Amino acid sequence: MKQKKAISRRAFLGGSVALVGSSAFLGGCLSSKDSSQGWSEYPLAKPEHQIYSACLQCHTACPIKVKIYDGVAVKIDGNPYATQTMQVQIPAATSPKDAARVDGLLCPKGQAGLQTLYDPYRLVRVLKRAGKRGENKWKTISFEQAIQEIVEGGYLFKDVPGEEKRKVLGLKDLYKLRDPKLSQKMAEDAKKVAKAQMSVAEFKKKYKSHLSLLIDPDHPDCGPVNNQFLFLAGRIEHGRKEFSKRFMNGGFGSINWLEHTTVCEQSHHIAYEMVTNQYHNGAWKKGKHHLKPDLYEAEFVLFFGTGAFEANFGPPYLSGLVTTNLVEGNMKIAVADPRLSKTAAKAWKWLPILPGGDAALANGIARWILENKGYDEKYLLNANAAAAERDGETSWSNATHLVRIEKDGPGRMLRASELGIGDEHSFVVIQNGKPVAVNAYDKSTPIHGELFYSGKINGIPLKTSLQLLKEYVFSKTMEEWAKLAGLEVQDIVEVAREFVRHGKKSVAEMYRGPVQHTNGYYNGQAIITLNLLMGNIGWKGGLSKGGGHWHEMGNKKGQPFPLKSMHPNKLHPFGFKITREGSHYEESTFYQKEKYPAKRPWYPHTSNVYQEALPSAQDGYPYPLKAILIHKGTPAFSIPGAHKNIEYLADVHQIPLLISCDVVIGDTSMYADYIFPDTAIWERWGTPHTTPAVPVAASKVRQPTITPLVEKVKVFGEEMPLSLEALLLGIAEKLKLPGFGKNGFGRGMDLKRPEDWYLKMVANIAAGDKPNDSVPEASQEELEIFYKARKHLDSSVYDPQKWQKAVVDDDNKNWWKQVVYVLNRGGRFETFEKYQKSGKYLPHPFKGMVQFYVEAVATTRHSYTGKRFEGLGKYKPITDYSGKAISLNSSKYPLHLITYKDILGGQSRNLPGNYWLSSIMPENPIILHKKTARELGLKDGDTVKVISADNPEGVWDLKNGEKKPMLGTIQTKEGVRPGVVMISWHYGHWHYGSRDTLVEGKIVKGDARRSKGICPNAAMRLDPVLKNVCLSDLIGGSTSFYDSQVQLVKV
Amino acid sequence: MNEQENTKAESRREFLGKAMLAALGTAFLAGQVEAKASEAAPKEDFEVPEGDEHLIRMQRELKEALKKPAKERRWVMVIDLRKCVGCHACTISCIAENKLPPGVVYRPVIEEEVGSYPNVSMRFLPRPCMQCDNPPCTPVCPVHATWKDEEDGIVHIDYNKCIGCRYCITACPYGARSFDFGENYSDQTPKTSEYEEAPSFDWGKKWERKNGDSPIGNARKCHFCIHRVKEGMLPACTTTCIGHATYFGDANNPKSLVAELIGKPNVMVLKEELGTHPRVYYLV
Repeated sequence: MKQKKAISRRAFLGGSVALVGSSAFLGGCLSSKDSSQGWSEYPLAKPEHQIYSACLQCHTACPIKVKIYDGVAVKIDGNPYATQTMQVQIPAATSPKDAARVDGLLCPKGQAGLQTLYDPYRLVRVLKRAGKRGENKWKTISFEQAIQEIVEGGYLFKDVPGEEKRKVLGLKDLYKLRDPKLSQKMAEDAKKVAKAQMSVAEFKKKYKSHLSLLIDPDHPDCGPVNNQFLFLAGRIEHGRKEFSKRFMNGGFGSINWLEHTTVCEQSHHIAYEMVTNQYHNGAWKKGKHHLKPDLYEAEFVLFFGTGAFEANFGPPYLSGLVTTNLVEGNMKIAVADPRLSKTAAKAWKWLPILPGGDAALANGIARWILENKGYDEKYLLNANAAAAERDGETSWSNATHLVRIEKDGPGRMLRASELGIGDEHSFVVIQNGKPVAVNAYDKSTPIHGELFYSGKINGIPLKTSLQLLKEYVFSKTMEEWAKLAGLEVQDIVEVAREFVRHGKKSVAEMYRGPVQHTNGYYNGQAIITLNLLMGNIGWKGGLSKGGGHWHEMGNKKGQPFPLKSMHPNKLHPFGFKITREGSHYEESTFYQKEKYPAKRPWYPHTSNVYQEALPSAQDGYPYPLKAILIHKGTPAFSIPGAHKNIEYLADVHQIPLLISCDVVIGDTSMYADYIFPDTAIWERWGTPHTTPAVPVAASKVRQPTITPLVEKVKVFGEEMPLSLEALLLGIAEKLKLPGFGKNGFGRGMDLKRPEDWYLKMVANIAAGDKPNDSVPEASQEELEIFYKARKHLDSSVYDPQKWQKAVVDDDNKNWWKQVVYVLNRGGRFETFEKYQKSGKYLPHPFKGMVQFYVEAVATTRHSYTGKRFEGLGKYKPITDYSGKAISLNSSKYPLHLITYKDILGGQSRNLPGNYWLSSIMPENPIILHKKTARELGLKDGDTVKVISADNPEGVWDLKNGEKKPMLGTIQTKEGVRPGVVMISWHYGHWHYGSRDTLVEGKIVKGDARRSKGICPNAAMRLDPVLKNVCLSDLIGGSTSFYDSQVQLVKV
Repeated sequence: MNEQENTKAESRREFLGKAMLAALGTAFLAGQVEAKASEAAPKEDFEVPEGDEHLIRMQRELKEALKKPAKERRWVMVIDLRKCVGCHACTISCIAENKLPPGVVYRPVIEEEVGSYPNVSMRFLPRPCMQCDNPPCTPVCPVHATWKDEEDGIVHIDYNKCIGCRYCITACPYGARSFDFGENYSDQTPKTSEYEEAPSFDWGKKWERKNGDSPIGNARKCHFCIHRVKEGMLPACTTTCIGHATYFGDANNPKSLVAELIGKPNVMVLKEELGTHPRVYYLV
């Protein structure tokens, strides 16, 4: 692909020689320019031409500096003040004047951000549908009218054939429960009903005059009608997350604020959360959802899927750490991935694993480690905080803690009270054959336990966590594990040996690859377990929880603006989310009536189950939706089996009001009733968080760098750019939602403009997480640089007086100069010395207990089968919702489909609309091993269609009379496991500026380059039980991206 | 496509092999080119921030070098192929920095798969202009619009003299020159994007690509971002190199990072056998 460009360029040159004379001649001789070689100034070296911000071309959100010339953003570089883009960043005290000449690292996507910002297809005015959904006929309407229509409802589309008599409920009709006190009372009682502590009849009687506020009085636990308005976000980030939650939850009173995480890697987060969860007062509290190897000092890293050079978090930060350590001989890496990634290309060992074989590999390694006593015994023997502390460890494990073995397998952890040797919050270990109570968090008396025990005490069959792990990993031979992983025994042994050799400086790392399967959570846990065996958490070179950040929500002592509590009269949203995430099926009126199986899955352990939102609403389970606002997400495109969502989105009867907030007409926003243009990320605010791979603290700030290209609108009497904020503020103004407008924060503080919110966040960051933790005030020179650098900004986006007013706190303290100090650096970054001087420990180590056996999972049930989940990271087959194993052998569809991200693209955007990037990679090939291609009679350059059992036609049915075939070009390679077909993301759009669109009766020509390539999601496996959604992981919630089989048909 | 790809891959492998043999020799020879006068030091004084990060060290050395008379310094680039991760950040950074249109690429990265399953790897080769001390591209120019500059050691093009005949493009054995046909990336769309209309500072001058004016209709190539270098800044490809594979500096300063790097046995240049004496060194 990449070479093709070079070739075609040459061909182009060769074939165009005849043109030379004219254009070149004119260019050369008629120019009036000075031909001397004297130097002109280079303005971009000056601080007044730079504004620091944060990227979002991928979720890494690298700190950036945007260089501006004549009001136009002309170059984007990395921020040298930030660890993520400099690794060892320059001191925060460096003057912006000097920093102006230092450019940090940035990946090609980040640099091509200019092409998203200045995309010729950017929307600037509100569009209203003028044809059927998906027909691509639009008219432009004013912002005020659009707000009026979506709030008031009515016969909004009476001009559209077939919708003459369709009355649309407005948001005012869904904003039913408006009384904060009543909402709190009802919320409490609805919970009681769900837990069968109050009957439905009692509830109905108590609230008989308010039953119309509920979606279904027979299921009060579904909550109020307000819940029928869903905010569905894709890649939304901190800052906006909190702002939109304020709007949806406390403002509108809907529980349904969702984002996209299960489409990315949610099961990985849940696996980490569960392994690191903590036991307090009889309950498990979720732990850290994301840990990363410390690549500064790690000596051996085993990457399961994700590497350091392409996706992950992210290439600018990770690449140099890995390449430098590799070249200097400080690091060895192995990569388990069916695809030879660019990281695998530099690895000591590439393990071309079977897709989904991750837990088999991890458990095979664990078996070798246990068999050869390669684990850190000293670490594992520690049963509580005191024992850990004595060994200089910040964490300890439950390896020695006893688990009860029930009839249906391992169940709860044994509590000391059950043996009469301690309280009900203490666990039990074995010492010299006798049970001993352990308060896991006790810091005074070190307790050690035996690692391996299996026996009965007081008639209760018991085993230690590590005993359970040992028995499990020994239940298969190395040969069997190797076969399940699709690897050679010798390779697994060599990797295991290397892993053990480097002890606490070995890390097993993963992200999306191992977990986007129905067994994703277990795969993730199995991988994390390898780290537990080494006891590497908190150590330099081990697993890092990262440096964290200063909290922008202001809930720490000494912070001026506690934004969450600054919400007068907020509503208390209640009821099940549309996805039933975070709720136990057994605690619902649905269980009370229907028992097992539940109609659709319940997800007690996870959140943001993106794929489940629209299909649930389609099935009306637990209730239908009436209005959806989709923001920076594309559920019609990005989800496996996303074509099923199109059936829902295209049907006005299934979802009566569909609002989108987008920067262009996208593959999903094409189906919307209204599209509100959004500001692009270089035009707006945000406070993205930092990857835990960064060991020092960092709070990034995204801020406007140019005057937004969108139309200006007026809300609460204030002029501002059209944006998600303007849209939410506009609705809030119309509906008089609590917490917005005049005195929206209480205390006499208004929330009328985006800056009223975001600058308070910046002030909180500037103030720090404890008293006297503030950044310095900006000097006079810095203030001048700040003002000069913003001269080009329109007053609708930058008004220094309004900005200053937004950061005056209750005590009348003006945080402005501290805020400027932060904005002048694009955030606040802890000095890297903190890492350099923290000895053998990470400067911000994880502290607490880690779990080999996860009780919190093992004691909960699958909502279809009613069976308990497992406490260990076991190797599990791919299953459908009913728990039935799915065969991955099919002669008709013999190829195993996987996807990946090229360094040049994000999942659903950037490519191919960022033309610099698509000039290198105009489309995504369908990649096969040379041998596999030969067997199928395919060769490089062949055009093929991807078909599957669920989509034998191989098309995206766009439900507007068109079907887009899944066509692509074959590329053969050696660097891919035979039998696997791999297709990268980013391509295969049907809109995103690629097609002609009728606006106000005129055609806006599409650009064919933007529809190039293929998105294979419509070929992915659907759940045979649920039918309108892909397969999912019932624990972690992740969508199954890598459990599908396809065939390629030559066309 | 595949046939061409293979030919290309073959020939590159061939020259990489040959180049290896004589790498050391060139490194010495190339050092002896004489430079005449100095570029002015940056107009505004600035401090290089503290730290030992490689970019900071190189910038510090760059600032030192700018204080010397030009003839005493020798700009070179070093690319460590072991560290190149094939990310194309340099390609894009260069396009953005110099506002390069479609078809004009100063610094492509060539990707190549090597080996056979399961013993497979990939090679990535970034290819800027070599700034040869004995450039084959300059003598063929009929109007003397391109020359090896004695001051800064860069192979220059004067866009205002260039008649666009493209002899130089053919003469360059590295394919380092391309032609500006006046296209824009947004040509097939409803509007020209603002960043495409913004000026570039190619060669230290302000260029607006409008109305067919230069650099439209000219041969174009990498200039080590000399407009940045003279402001005390490293070339754009160097600062953005996420694999830490690209180095730039004054090889005549024996304490500089680049001098350290090219004094190692794993250094080579491309197509050594042609006697072009490149100023771009590769570490393998």
